Amino acid sequence: MAKDMTKKKIIIVGGGISGLLATIKVCELGGEVDLFSYCPVKRSHSLCAQGGINACMDTKGEHDSIYEHFDDTVYGGDFLADQIAVKGMVEAAPKLIKMFDRMGVPFTRTAEGTLDLRNFGGQKNKRTCFAGSTTGQQILYALDEQVRRWEVKGAVKKYEFWEFVKIIKNKEGICRGIVAQSMNTMEIKAFKGDTVILATGGPGQVFGRCTASTICNGSAVSAVYQQGAEIANPEFIQIHPTAIPGSDKNRLMSEACRGEGGRVWVWRNNPETGERERWYFLEDMYPAYGNLVPRDVASRAIFKVCEHMKLGIDGEHRVYLDLSHIDGDYLKRKLGGILEMYSEFVGKDPREVPMEIFPSVHYSMGGIWVDRLHNTNIPGLMASGECDYQYHGANRLGANSLLSAAYSGTVSGPEAMKWAKSGNKGSELTDAEMEAARQEVQNEYDKILQMNGAENAHKLHHEMGDLMYKYVAIERDNNGLDAALVELKKLLKRWDNIGITDRGNVANQEAMFVRQLRNMILYAMAIAKSARMRDESRGAHAKIVLENGQRKMDKDGELVFMGRDDERFMKVTIVNYDEKTEEPVVSYRDFDHSLIKPRARNYAVAKKE
Amino acid sequence: MFHTTFYVRRLHSLCGLFVLGMVLFEHIFTNSMAILGPEALNGALEMMELIPKPIFMGLEIGGIAIPLLFHAIYGIYIALQANNNPGRFGYLRNWNFALQRWTAWFLVAFLIWHVGYLRFYIKGVTGTPISWELLYNYFQNPLVVILYVLGMFAAIFHFCNGITTFCMTWGITKGPRSQNVISWISMGLCAVLCLITLTFMGSYIVR
Amino acid sequence: MAEKKVRFVIERQDGPNDKPYIQEFDVDWRPSLNVVAALMEIQKNPVTVDGKRVPPVVWECNCLEKVCGACMMVINGKARQACCALIDELKQPIELKPARTFPVIRDLLIDRTRMFEALKKIQGWIELDGSFESKEAPIQNPYTAQTAYEISHCMTCGCCLEACPNVGPQSDFIGPAPTVQAYLFNLHPLGKFDAPKRLNALMEKGGITSCGNSQNCVEVCPKSIKLTTYLAQLNRDVNIQALKNIFDN
Repeated sequence: MAKDMTKKKIIIVGGGISGLLATIKVCELGGEVDLFSYCPVKRSHSLCAQGGINACMDTKGEHDSIYEHFDDTVYGGDFLADQIAVKGMVEAAPKLIKMFDRMGVPFTRTAEGTLDLRNFGGQKNKRTCFAGSTTGQQILYALDEQVRRWEVKGAVKKYEFWEFVKIIKNKEGICRGIVAQSMNTMEIKAFKGDTVILATGGPGQVFGRCTASTICNGSAVSAVYQQGAEIANPEFIQIHPTAIPGSDKNRLMSEACRGEGGRVWVWRNNPETGERERWYFLEDMYPAYGNLVPRDVASRAIFKVCEHMKLGIDGEHRVYLDLSHIDGDYLKRKLGGILEMYSEFVGKDPREVPMEIFPSVHYSMGGIWVDRLHNTNIPGLMASGECDYQYHGANRLGANSLLSAAYSGTVSGPEAMKWAKSGNKGSELTDAEMEAARQEVQNEYDKILQMNGAENAHKLHHEMGDLMYKYVAIERDNNGLDAALVELKKLLKRWDNIGITDRGNVANQEAMFVRQLRNMILYAMAIAKSARMRDESRGAHAKIVLENGQRKMDKDGELVFMGRDDERFMKVTIVNYDEKTEEPVVSYRDFDHSLIKPRARNYAVAKKE
Repeated sequence: MFHTTFYVRRLHSLCGLFVLGMVLFEHIFTNSMAILGPEALNGALEMMELIPKPIFMGLEIGGIAIPLLFHAIYGIYIALQANNNPGRFGYLRNWNFALQRWTAWFLVAFLIWHVGYLRFYIKGVTGTPISWELLYNYFQNPLVVILYVLGMFAAIFHFCNGITTFCMTWGITKGPRSQNVISWISMGLCAVLCLITLTFMGSYIVR
Repeated sequence: MAEKKVRFVIERQDGPNDKPYIQEFDVDWRPSLNVVAALMEIQKNPVTVDGKRVPPVVWECNCLEKVCGACMMVINGKARQACCALIDELKQPIELKPARTFPVIRDLLIDRTRMFEALKKIQGWIELDGSFESKEAPIQNPYTAQTAYEISHCMTCGCCLEACPNVGPQSDFIGPAPTVQAYLFNLHPLGKFDAPKRLNALMEKGGITSCGNSQNCVEVCPKSIKLTTYLAQLNRDVNIQALKNIFDN
């Protein structure tokens, strides 16, 4: 049968929740999708989301409102999120949940058979829909199934185990295709598309050990950044307060643990009586929200207790997350999956003994700059999901990530079709242009195969992670950030001196990793530079005041943090890549915050609107 | 669409449990008469001779030969689809799974010999009726006795384990508890039937 | 004193059509070390015990939390996820092999396309009118939803296929995991409408009839899904469907 040439072809890179939902939307509008992914899409990182997805379903008689969700999100994001975009997202949320329910996501139900809700950080009402403790997995699977259905119908062609390397622009600078490489046969190929959507997830691997999957390296984002796409707000990296520290990765212990009543504590000697006691420090410091303060606040508190007060378990960077006071059967039903994981990886049952946890890099609020319809500054290129910067401002509320991933897919998919049909796409790519783009990537890859230096790429990666944790994580100061930039530059230099041992042409993971690593270093530079330039504390970005080149302390010996500076910094950070110096160039851009007036963010007292 | 594979496989299951199960029980019942002595066994064998020849032949062909051939030939096809791995995965049910197939192979060979010699050669060609005395002489050879005991054990195990899997295949036992109960009951039956076999086989030797 | 080492005996293979060979590596022991973390250490210093510098071992992994299903391999003879295979709980030296029920691409990396293809055969999805957001979702029995949740944990890792004696080149059985997924969709209030289609698909060659009840699947399932229970339930459903096929027409 002759192929219908009038059909629009959309290239979607990334098969997580956002990419899959965009795929479904495109198919429903009559388009065709070439779907690229590092792995079978069913193994995408979205499945690691545990706790749930926020939507104002109000099934618990709490008179929850969409406005409340809107306000919580903007307030939680420390007033750096585009409010019109957030409003669109929270309004769509309940409808998305109903759609997922129809698709077969096995949400946990109440006795009546309606959706159960749980508490989550930074929100006073029960607003988080969940499927046990594997909500992301369940949503991803439901979408995977729907995409499979479209695949059978012939609308979707999957390129699994293909790595996106670059976009291809036409003469007018409009994105018209991509170059990708098979991760098994190592074949490099150019693909044409009417629109390209990147849905490639976060850059967690830039920090080495984090809660992200090994595939979340931000390499694709960095690649388009080097081709002219703007990055926005990369300095806002969420540190999740409760993760199981590990040498290969920090495993997430969902916020749902606290949502279901988990308490965080350490041993201390009572300052008044001197008695040894359990100190529930979050409840003590933030009486209004207690253990359910947002993630940035909880992480800083835990870091302070361990690093500055030296009260960590056995003096180490660990605190207790305690569920042992809650009924075991209830826990099994509500949190089964993750408690099992803790037992499996640590060898202790969290229903019997408190878990030992510490904060870990978890999520990037920042990413590729997009407008409200998810177009980047490069026409024809869109970004969707964690790889874009939209919706979360300076800090993301727990269970808003599944929501933003899903919502962004429902926006980017139809918009991609609109662009494909009526956008000003300029000239078609010629075969010569396609081949030139392919050849360029081929040459770069062949060069990597020849690398014969003394450095090991995986060791460099490890060093970069240590460096980023040391200078660009929970507490930042300008001395450290300056040092980080110098060190990163050195790493970039050392990258040239990598030697590889694998020169094979089947599944050469080493060569691919070398290419990804360079992208990661360049992205790390964008993070560090943006953090250096933002002289304030906001959300996840907390900067210590320097005095005479030293960290400033107040009279009680507490570190002094910069305050929020709405005058200068209630703006989106924009990072452009300077091809000559390979350095990030930072500027600032206004955004829409017309709906809710900024107010101080304080979780010690109940939120006032 | 007609699902040939499905119906043939289900027929295989039914035929194994009910038809060949009946044949096995008939054999055990008749032969166990030997425990009571030569007269009892001969009496039972003569009783069967009372069935009119055409009906008896019909029963033998329709009730034994066809089901047995079908069960054996399709069974070989099924057995060939398995790559037995109890060495790697040594769970009880997996051992039973492998034994079900190993006993099947043994039974194919054993039954060719058993039916070929006793039914076709002795009864068919030489025209000698089967009697206690004939079996007594036959079982003077210890190798024959061992092979017959093994043949019976294989058939009994194959049948009893078949009960367990039948209950799964037909969705009668669903949960692990009911499956275990049936499994123990059928293994109990297996032990009892093996014991009966040992007794009547022993009665030829220990007199 | 020399540091404690962990010895790995790894079955490697350079390409899909190459011959397998064995290489041994030593990795420094540390607390709660798992197989994936050890393979990562080998990446940092890919030198065998004989001191030979070799290409690092190739394998697949993503989440390292036992939810993505990627890192399934045969560890000391057992098919399991490598990320949660703690070294201290394994007999040493530790033997790593690819799960050869599937085609091997390289080293421990395997091609599990057949599992995803099988999900197409059983029509593993709900026939949605569309992904519009304006419809109400049906109320669901909380107990049924809980069962669905259990089955929906299946991460397509392939442990059950590797353990099943009826899965392999000698047979066309699609395997326990995809078969049981059919039940998941039959449970859903909307998915139910197409239950007969899925049951009929299971009656085809390579479907549920190929299950020989060895029950290895339920023993090895890393997610403790009661596979055999659902297989028996499906057997029941398929038999009833067969009667309907005969008598309703």
